[in-house]
Amino acid sequence: MTGAEALSGGPPAGDPDLTSPGLEGSPDALRAAMGRLLLTLADTKRILGLRYSDWLLGAPAIEAGIAASSMAQDEWGHARLLYATLGDFGEDPRVLEHERDAANWTSLEVLDGPFEDWAQFVGRSLVVDAALAIALEGLKAGLYAPIDGRLAKMLAEEEFHRSLLEAWCTRLASGSTEARGRLGAAITGAFPAALRWVGPGDGPHARLREAGLTSGAPTLRAALVGRVRPFVRSLGLDLPGPASLDDDWDGTRARGAGQPDDDVVERARGDRNRALFVE
Amino acid sequence: MAELTRPRPARGTHSASRAGSPADGGTRLPTVGPGVPGHVLSHASGGRDQWSDPMETPPADPEQGLLDCLGEVLDPELPISLVDLGLIYAARLDDDGTARIDLTFTATACPCMAFIREDITDRLEQEPWVESVAIREVWDPPWTRDRITERGRRQLGELGVGV
Repeated sequence: MTGAEALSGGPPAGDPDLTSPGLEGSPDALRAAMGRLLLTLADTKRILGLRYSDWLLGAPAIEAGIAASSMAQDEWGHARLLYATLGDFGEDPRVLEHERDAANWTSLEVLDGPFEDWAQFVGRSLVVDAALAIALEGLKAGLYAPIDGRLAKMLAEEEFHRSLLEAWCTRLASGSTEARGRLGAAITGAFPAALRWVGPGDGPHARLREAGLTSGAPTLRAALVGRVRPFVRSLGLDLPGPASLDDDWDGTRARGAGQPDDDVVERARGDRNRALFVE
Repeated sequence: MAELTRPRPARGTHSASRAGSPADGGTRLPTVGPGVPGHVLSHASGGRDQWSDPMETPPADPEQGLLDCLGEVLDPELPISLVDLGLIYAARLDDDGTARIDLTFTATACPCMAFIREDITDRLEQEPWVESVAIREVWDPPWTRDRITERGRRQLGELGVGV
């Protein structure tokens, strides 16, 4: 039986972890784990899109602002596709998108506050976009059909983001000492949390890996390092060493402590337009 | 995956809902050049002011009939049809007259999704042999420019749009 079949609720014969009674390892737990992962991906893309949108008219070049606009749209398009799958897990996508408190959002913590300058935009986004792509590619190796059918398009669009962000990182790294320093700080500041987020290695993620629905935490972390480090080193910069962040891990939300600021959550939920929603 | 089905409205209630049409006194536009149909100059949603009248008899090949109809529906941003843009992945007609269309978009955040769905539905529901339209959104395989037909490339090229 595949992980996808297990998610459908059928008897997961042949997998002792899945046939064991009780919550641990049961299909319900597996479904909850997949739902957590998809919500984390959707929330992170939704908030990342808003952080991109903050710079539509503040980028160093008008072309960069246009690119930020396209990237913001892409992230919201991906979030839309991901939220829509959560109906399969007993959730109401409308409630998840429009009615949750900020404390219940599961977006990666490095997006909790706005990008303070363009160096943070490109440095943090380089890391976060890479982590999102690695997480999606990890799912690609899985067997959950509703996601498999959407991954290729999302990953293709992510490649354009990567091209732009790497080009701007290169430009800033070869610029002034100040620009280089801010870029380096943005990358190193974001990387530890992204590394933990992409490969959390806790119980829910382990269940996904055992069911063949995603790659294991070590594989995902290695993939993120393998994708980001060579490029960062080519700039004459480097990534920080391993950091222990376990103390503030929130297993329910699959992210570190804290929450996105109220302003960005209000925008993500569409609070001011709530009375204007149409079916 | 979500499948959107809309009941068929009364005949004749959905034409040219966002623009004038020949029936409203509009005029069919001239052909602008070899291989470029006049409807590329349409400003009506989906090119509806240039849509053909309903077929007098059901098509012998329903799938081809659906594709012929959709071949008249213009993309909201590029002046070629949804078929030539490569957005229609499948079209079939159930025995009960339900037209089932597999549709993709050029981007996951395409701002014209609702327009495109509406244009498809309105065009197909013109046909007496189509009772309802069910559109399924698909992303696999992902759309790329390679899916644009040769005719679509020619039409875009003659309008100065390189692909």
